[in-house]
Amino acid sequence: MFVPSVTNPIGDFVRDMVPRITEFLPASFQSDTLNSVVAFLVNALICIIAVCAVNIGSAPILIYMERKVCAHVQCRLGPMRLGWHGTLQTIADVIKMLFKEVYAPSGADKLMFYLAPLIVLIAPFIVCALIPFSRSLVVADVSMGIPLIIAVNGFGVLGILLGGWSSNNKYSLLGALRSGAQMISYEISFAMILLFVVMISGSTNLMSITLGQEGTIFDWWIFKIPVLGFIAFILFFISSTAEMNRAPFDIAEAEQELTGGYHTEYNGTPFAMFYLAEYIALITNSALATTCFLGGFLPPCIGIEFVDNYLNMVPGVIWFFAKVYFMIWCYMMVRWTFVRPRVDQLMDFEWKFLLPVNLVLLTAGAIYMVIV
Amino acid sequence: MGIINLAPKVLDPIPGGKYVVNAIDYVVNWARANSIWPLTYGTSCCAIEMMSSSMARYDIARFGSEVFRSSPRQADLFILAGTITRRMAPAIQMLWEQIPGPKYVIAMGACTISGGPFIYDNYSVVRGAQNLIPVDVFVPGCPPRPEALFHGLLTLREKILKETCREPWHEGDIRNVSTMDRYREAAKTWAALEQMKDEEMADARAKFKEEHPDYKSPYKPVRIKKEEFPEVERVACKRYGMSQLDIYKKLKAKFQSVTVHTHSEDPIEDVVAAMPADRPLEVMIDVEDYLGAVEYVKNDPEFKMDFLIDVTAIDYDDHFDLVTQLRSIEIGHKVFFCVQIKKDFNIPEADRPTSLLGKVPTISHLYPGAEVKEREVYDMFGIDFEGHPDQRRIFLDRDFVGYPLRKDFTHPEMIRRPV
Amino acid sequence: MSITRLPPGFKITRETNTEEFFINMGPQHPSTHGALRLTLRMDGETIVELVPHFGYIHRGMEKQAESMSYLQYIALSDRQDYLTAIQNNLGVVIALEKGMNVGVPEKGEYIRVMLQELGRIASHLVFFGCFGGDLGGQTCLLFGFKEREMIHDILEEVTGSRLTTNFFRPGGSRYDVPETFIPRVKAFLDHLEDAMRDYERFLSKNIIVLERSVGIGVLSKEDAIAYGCSGPVLRASGVEFDVRRANPYSIYDQLDFDIPVFHNGDCYDRYKIRIAEIHESMKILRQCVEKFPKEGPWRSKEKPVRLPVGRYYSEIETAKGLYATYVVAATTGEKPYRIHTRGPSFPHIAALNKMAQGHKISDLVTIMATLDPVIPEIDR
Repeated sequence: MFVPSVTNPIGDFVRDMVPRITEFLPASFQSDTLNSVVAFLVNALICIIAVCAVNIGSAPILIYMERKVCAHVQCRLGPMRLGWHGTLQTIADVIKMLFKEVYAPSGADKLMFYLAPLIVLIAPFIVCALIPFSRSLVVADVSMGIPLIIAVNGFGVLGILLGGWSSNNKYSLLGALRSGAQMISYEISFAMILLFVVMISGSTNLMSITLGQEGTIFDWWIFKIPVLGFIAFILFFISSTAEMNRAPFDIAEAEQELTGGYHTEYNGTPFAMFYLAEYIALITNSALATTCFLGGFLPPCIGIEFVDNYLNMVPGVIWFFAKVYFMIWCYMMVRWTFVRPRVDQLMDFEWKFLLPVNLVLLTAGAIYMVIV
Repeated sequence: MGIINLAPKVLDPIPGGKYVVNAIDYVVNWARANSIWPLTYGTSCCAIEMMSSSMARYDIARFGSEVFRSSPRQADLFILAGTITRRMAPAIQMLWEQIPGPKYVIAMGACTISGGPFIYDNYSVVRGAQNLIPVDVFVPGCPPRPEALFHGLLTLREKILKETCREPWHEGDIRNVSTMDRYREAAKTWAALEQMKDEEMADARAKFKEEHPDYKSPYKPVRIKKEEFPEVERVACKRYGMSQLDIYKKLKAKFQSVTVHTHSEDPIEDVVAAMPADRPLEVMIDVEDYLGAVEYVKNDPEFKMDFLIDVTAIDYDDHFDLVTQLRSIEIGHKVFFCVQIKKDFNIPEADRPTSLLGKVPTISHLYPGAEVKEREVYDMFGIDFEGHPDQRRIFLDRDFVGYPLRKDFTHPEMIRRPV
Repeated sequence: MSITRLPPGFKITRETNTEEFFINMGPQHPSTHGALRLTLRMDGETIVELVPHFGYIHRGMEKQAESMSYLQYIALSDRQDYLTAIQNNLGVVIALEKGMNVGVPEKGEYIRVMLQELGRIASHLVFFGCFGGDLGGQTCLLFGFKEREMIHDILEEVTGSRLTTNFFRPGGSRYDVPETFIPRVKAFLDHLEDAMRDYERFLSKNIIVLERSVGIGVLSKEDAIAYGCSGPVLRASGVEFDVRRANPYSIYDQLDFDIPVFHNGDCYDRYKIRIAEIHESMKILRQCVEKFPKEGPWRSKEKPVRLPVGRYYSEIETAKGLYATYVVAATTGEKPYRIHTRGPSFPHIAALNKMAQGHKISDLVTIMATLDPVIPEIDR
């Protein structure tokens, strides 16, 4: 039986406040059922706003960060003119894209064409709702967190496939097929590594996975299980890169080959959605990696009490986002360093290398769990 | 175009509404002017400078324009980098139509402004991008430096900032006036302006002359002392492989029709023997012997002409010269076969410019590389290659009329170079 | 399902169980290096056959040349292969020199050779960038261009122009080199030595690059010769042919350098050979820096460029391969009867079909990058 492990201060506050407000209403409106329904709706609204704020708010930051990281890797400066060091650049981009002309190519399946970018956005939003940002900050603290994430991640493929197919363009179709094959394959190893985490932590709830890593930095799953944890982390890094369609595994977009792949025919706001989805997926995947391997919102204590006290003073949210941005930085560095493998090599890599290694890892982890 | 263009209609009647419209203008223009994503498109030299401008030294990213989109649907700016040919023109118009509005065009380089170096005697270059699509900013240069492109970009930015909801960006029309010579039009306007200025200044000049009857300009042209250079003899490089005389003799023994074209009265062998070492031997041969000779030099172990440099032709009044340039990679000598193809004058004179005038056997089964070269000769001269597997036009459109490298070729859109 | 009526150019007729389809690549496509259009016949992701369509940047240079003077044509040769503009200048000028029978003094030859090799390095650096960029590593593209800018600084100082140099003249060049030329070249060479070490580490041993280029787009020795390929593409297939060695022009016969030859003829060899050529060019430049004559005339006596009746042929080795100029003078005068240019990229694209068959569309991009074609030089 799952017992919610967190206190929910915001939820409690709303539940507390709703009866006090309804007091002012006529007596016929006052009932406990109505109060709880209203409280539920208000809570849901707060959650939705919170998730949207985290995701949509961080996407422009990430785009700016990507452009800066890429520029500095390439010995350039990157955006410099708008705001301090070009900080307002992505905001200008977003506003511009919102006011661009939007049209679908002739022969496109219009409904599917406009639906696809929305579907792509679903997966990262749901995943984001499951991530514990702090001891008391989690939108949906469900017992089956990891299986839900695995299930929801499949939505991304659907959107990309739909978008590519409905554009009525051969490049888009090729890109969509590539990405379909790639994402479905890599989903397997992605799920396997999450299973590894579930196995060693003994829970599918993300909050308990995080809290299982309490202690010093060496209690994080990446270090707690010698070698295996680190291998699992690297494998997660690889398969999540592929899962997100990010370079070097961006064969679905492959600008040099397919001129943009599945989003070749998209413009204006729908394209902005694809663009945002890429970065929101980046933040959710980094958050997942942080939760599963890097101790989530826990501070990196090192076992010396004097230092740890200071580290513990910093709120968990800050630690969480610090780790997330470190992960994002890693993803970006990889993107701007490596070249892209070919589509069949990518498949070979998954089925002939990554999957066997994952199975071995799972077995080794199981043996380790039995012995220790 | 879009909802925001309705804003003035809705908001202006409301008291204070025009301030909201102004605010919208400010924000949208700020965004549009500062986030200009160009399309990855380039045909020739200017494309390299365009690439340079996005590279580490110049870094177009500072202006927020490094996001080169390869799909026109996501681009805002169309940088026309490089010459536009008639064959490319429909593609350019299509690309421009695919870019969602508001879209802007920068014509980069002399070729896209007026045709640049390709304005005269040219049958294939469009004289200026303005003849095809509306252009916002022209950047002169051949090619313009990256700094010049940035200046163009910033000029475009100023232009965008002037747009308002009340006078919104509007899509121009595609034009098709590829015959228009923008250079001459500009020259005419310029001359008219000069004349107007002259007339305006005439009185002032006359007055000045009255006041200063013996005025002399203080300007003196600077004369640079001309350097003297010695005359240097040209040194021909070493001979590789067989000498020209040996080649000539061997070919003459095999094929009777082999000769060498000379202007002097001396015997051919003396002329050939006197050739400088680095001058390839060019033998004249009859059409009948041509294929046999090429086959012979390819397979003969002493010649081993395995490498086809080029196949080209020269047009004369009554015949074509087909020049097949061969060399031996291993041995290092070269032989040029020159075949005189008599023009077929049985064809009525009116049809001659548009019909194939000569016939020659193909050598594309001996040298696979000759296939495209012969297509080029077919395209440019109208020589029929018998047995060619894929004889199509290569550089020009399928429906192009005439063969441009013939001396009597005329094209309605060609302007003669003023001598 | 077999296709009964094929579009023009396609030749293979075959019976398959799958549905083939056609893809049009270009003329606006990021990896066709300009305005080339390829039509691909695909079986899934595999290329069955491809047909290149030229002419999207056909500018009628040869027709124009007939009404131009010889000197004006030198400026047009810049615009053929704009990556090696300075080398094209030399190709035209040598043909004119043969006609006018003028020689070049020693210092002039050194200027020529040094600028040639600088141009070669610049072109190969662009290749390095495009190769990495077409494989998906955008950063390589910028690294290649970064060092190239230094060469352009030198070229700008000497010739007055970054890209289209229009520098050489029969008998020498337009100007003398400035005093800073030799120190700058020296400094650049020292810098490039370090930079190349980094760059090679970036791509040469990268496992993904190896996977994507070894054994891809193999061009056998026989095919390479038969199609008329030249330059690095031919040498990567195991043929030791370099005009600088085979028919030395300028002072290449007095310089000590090697002709790198690789034998597999795949994309990786074509990449490696260009890296090796950068090193060879650096070797040549170092020798030239040492031997560079400080004094002496840098050009021969200026003469009007008038060629006697005859046909003149010159060939040089540009960064892409054999660049030949064929000048026909029908009357003694300042204008040619006909000038024809043989660009090295044309046969390479003709051989593309042979190389790309049976490979994936991603490999086509790699092959195109390693052929390093410049389309205006094909179309002229």
